[in-house]
This record gives sequence, C-alpha cells and structure tokens, in this order.
Amino acid sequence: MSSQTTNGDSRGIGRPSGRSGGGAGSKGGGGKDAGGKRYFFRRRKVCKFCADKIDYVDYKDVKLISQFVPERGKILPRRMFGTCAEHQRKLTEAVNRARHLALLPYAAD
Amino acid sequence: MSDRIYEILFIADPNLGEPEVDALAAQVQGFVEKDGGKLQRMEKWGKKRLAYDVRRHREGYYVLLVVEGTGPMVKEVERRLKVTDGVIRYLTVRVDEELRKAERRKAQRALAEEKRRSRAGHAPARDAEVQA
Repeated sequence: MSSQTTNGDSRGIGRPSGRSGGGAGSKGGGGKDAGGKRYFFRRRKVCKFCADKIDYVDYKDVKLISQFVPERGKILPRRMFGTCAEHQRKLTEAVNRARHLALLPYAAD
Repeated sequence: MSDRIYEILFIADPNLGEPEVDALAAQVQGFVEKDGGKLQRMEKWGKKRLAYDVRRHREGYYVLLVVEGTGPMVKEVERRLKVTDGVIRYLTVRVDEELRKAERRKAQRALAEEKRRSRAGHAPARDAEVQA
C-alpha cells in the first residue's frame, strides 16, 4: 500500500498540470495498478539538468560536471543518474571537452 | 554571414610569470585581431592543477578568450597556437548556436509559464465578468 502512496506523490510533484506534453524522459514508473504487490518501487529519478533548467552544459563548469563523473573519471550510464537522453549527450560532450583541457581525468590512476 | 562566437581556452606553461602570461594572452589576442576577429572578453583563471600531466606539467595557467570571428580565423589562430611556445594545450569551441538555443529554450519556458499562470489566474476572472 505504502508503495502506491509514494507513486501518487511522485507523480504529483513531477507534473503539476497534466496538460503540457512535457519534454524528455516520460519513461518509467509503469504499471501503477500492480504496484501493491511489488516489493521494490524505485523512485523515479528526474534528470537534474531538466529539473534545474540547465539548457547548456558548460565544459568549464567543473563543479557541475564532476557531480556526474565519479572519481575514476568514467562517464556513467544514464540509468545511474537518471539524466534524460538529451542532457546525457550534452554532458558527454562537456566531459570530453573538460578532459581535453585537463579539468577532468581521462582515467584515474 | 555574420561572425560566429568562439571560446578559445588555452593552458599556458606554469613556469611563466604573471607578466609573461599576460603577454602571451595579448599575443593570442593579436592572432585573433589579425584575422578580423574581435575580442569580447578575456578571463584569467590563474594557475590550476591539471587532472593529468600535460607535457610534463602538473599545473597550468588557464586563460579563456571569448572571440567573435570566422571559421578561417579559427583555423589560423589554432595553427598559431600550436606553434607558440608556452601554450601547452588549447581548445576552441563554437558557442553562439548553443547559447542561442539555450536562450530560445529559456524564452519558451517563460512563455509557457506565463500561459499556465494566466490560465490558472485569469480564466476564472473572465468567467466572473461574463456572469456579472
């Protein structure tokens, strides 16, 4: 039961007015009626860039980018951070530029 | 075709002193202006630790130039950067299109917000007027 409440809550936060089509990442959280039986309900991750309305991922903004790149310096797959496809693409571009400028490591030692 | 906006970021040798880095930055600015470019702004980030060694340096002096110019200008500037001593790394990125896109996004978002607000706020008011 509790899982159903969380489900409802998160949807309420995510989309105040159901009218607008919404941009990216309308995936996930499927099967809300079957939710009662399921043990794991993973909270749907929302793309941080979408939430913060960052349109341009700047390679110079190391503080922002490094949140998405762990110590090892690898770019993690989308599913780890829940970034939408568009922003993941931009993030990758930014990381690669930052790497070239030695702002981020290619591979940690 | 109007000129494009580029960010040229280069890393200078950390063994250079402050005045030498300034001279280097001025030199790069000269490259830009020689080919009809215009400097919009310059930022000196100062000495920063590099994430990995570049030409045996652990540190570098970062300088960013935001520049207005053409494609051929960038080509020439990059060629010169490559042969300039004291520049250990550089990168040129065209930014005008991305920034314009971001700007448009922002405007669109503001518009949508406005619409939503007016739908929530003004619509009932209009109804009330009609009834009255």
